[in-house]
Amino acid sequence: MIYGDKNLGVIVQNITGRQGTFHTELMNAYAREAGGRGVVAGVAPGKAGREVHGVPVYNTVKEALREHDATASVVFVPAGAAGDAVMEAAHAGIELAVVITEHIPVHDAMKAIAYAKLHDCTVIGPNCPGLLSPGECKLGIMPAHLATRGEVGVVSRSGTLTYEVVDELTRAGIGQSTVVGIGGDPVIGQTFVDVLARFEEDPHTKAVVVIGEVGGNLEEEGVRSTDLPVVTYIAGVSAPPEKRMGHAGAIIEGGEGDARSKVRRLHAQNIPVASRPSEIPKLIREVL
Amino acid sequence: MKLLEYEAKRVFSGYGIPVPKGVLIREPEEVTARLPELGDGVVLKAQVDVGGRGKAGGVLMADDASAIETARELFSREIKGVPVREILVEERLPIDHEYYVSIAVDRSSRQPVVLFADAGGVEIENKALEDESAVRKVVVSPLLRDIPPFLMREILGGAPKELAPVINSLYHVFQEKDAMLAEINPLVTTLQGVYAADAKLVVDDNALARQGIAVNRDLSEREREAEKHGFSYVELDGTIGVIGNGAGLTMSTLDLIEFYNGRAANFLDVGGGADQERVMHAVKLVASMPGVNVIVVNLLGGITRCDEVAKGIIAAGVAPTVIVRMAGTNEEEGRRLLAECGYRMLESMDTAVKAAMEVSL
Repeated sequence: MIYGDKNLGVIVQNITGRQGTFHTELMNAYAREAGGRGVVAGVAPGKAGREVHGVPVYNTVKEALREHDATASVVFVPAGAAGDAVMEAAHAGIELAVVITEHIPVHDAMKAIAYAKLHDCTVIGPNCPGLLSPGECKLGIMPAHLATRGEVGVVSRSGTLTYEVVDELTRAGIGQSTVVGIGGDPVIGQTFVDVLARFEEDPHTKAVVVIGEVGGNLEEEGVRSTDLPVVTYIAGVSAPPEKRMGHAGAIIEGGEGDARSKVRRLHAQNIPVASRPSEIPKLIREVL
Repeated sequence: MKLLEYEAKRVFSGYGIPVPKGVLIREPEEVTARLPELGDGVVLKAQVDVGGRGKAGGVLMADDASAIETARELFSREIKGVPVREILVEERLPIDHEYYVSIAVDRSSRQPVVLFADAGGVEIENKALEDESAVRKVVVSPLLRDIPPFLMREILGGAPKELAPVINSLYHVFQEKDAMLAEINPLVTTLQGVYAADAKLVVDDNALARQGIAVNRDLSEREREAEKHGFSYVELDGTIGVIGNGAGLTMSTLDLIEFYNGRAANFLDVGGGADQERVMHAVKLVASMPGVNVIVVNLLGGITRCDEVAKGIIAAGVAPTVIVRMAGTNEEEGRRLLAECGYRMLESMDTAVKAAMEVSL
């Protein structure tokens, strides 16, 4: 597994919000089953002293870390304040911030990710479902019952499509080492390259499923960077061409960010590309 | 959301970037009264949101005598199908040299990237594809307020130093206006100084509210209606309606329809944690599209409750056949509710899409 095991101590930022409360309970239910530590503290400015499903709440990340041993944070803070929340976590010494929040302005995301990097804090997301290492730990909102422990890593820009693929793998008897949703926004912390580098160092991961979408060329970059056997699936081949953003986008992305040209470039690198999610288990068996 | 040229130039001008003298007109006759401000020799530019506007006939030259006729001509045109309602009339600049500069979000480095070319103009994109060295790319830390001089030297290369303040101001626009793209093409030098002859500004859709922009003009009315309910929605031209949760899964459903040689009518992502009400609105919206005779609902998720979805579908009570594939909390209850009302609930994406194909034929 990558990014942490059952001993990982976790805090939740905006633990008193609807999603924060709901998923704290699910994460801790998972931790209890796995014999892990789970969420040890929560943060919500102005709400110190409360408890959420038995988890104590603090005003700031700094105060939470003074009382508890935690290195990871799951961020459920609303879009307008989420960038600030990531910087607060990094500043206080959090080493891994998983940002579930969607619709964060891209300039906030760029600043938060750059600031986190200065403080050696790794950011996953924003706009992501988090990560799940079956039988070890769950950070975020993935439905845990679909996953089983095994040797295939999954990394994806999508949320629900990831669950679909994990479900297909599990039903085909192929377990997963870690499932990582890196988020669907234009600017994200951990990219395919970063996650694949971690999988490469993980002795439990023998092959990886890379699930991509239209836009950018991060899938190709990631696949090129690893020696692990990889199977890909790219969503959006039937989608109408993405709205081009002037000349700059086209120049940066080498003129192409649509799914078909992505698939072509992956084929050119001799990477298996599944034509639909249900084909992934077969292709994984071929590379294992 | 894309701003029009004249709107972008107003913003740029507010940051001290020189722009040509110009006036916006909505009637051809308005041009006459404004000519004295601009001097002899003007450029008329259709204010339409299309790429390759010049080549499509959206930019015309005129002198004092021909200005009104030229304005009439331009107002009568459609530029790539878009009618001309506003024209920016500008002084014609005695151009010495044209440069290209833009600032965009670089996904790969997660930082702003400044792109600069010594030869600007309409062919920049093709030039860049042919010869990578034609465009210099320099990334700047988003934590810096200004482009530091050592990076500015790298951006400019041998280009005149007088461009530096303009590029730095463009960087301020990029940061403070939550831009996805801020572009000047061409950035021209004249004997009188440097000018942004054209201007492009795209604002991050996630930052429209804090930029004081109430309505996203890039969306159609139906798309705006969809946005109100929290959906992302795109209309296509097929017969099979699609409702999913999550962009990836919904796109994947469209792809699967194409894989089985069907044609999807739309893309509708209901978003996370859809309740009865939202599902009902989604089903009604898709059913209201002409030509839709079957709808595939493909929902998967931890928060989504299948009984809520089932109730939403039943409450919508639409004419086209609805085929449901869902997995998640309260799956059994959802299946029971749907079965009672004669709806089909299938086990996998593949079987659901195949079933929809059969109905659509």
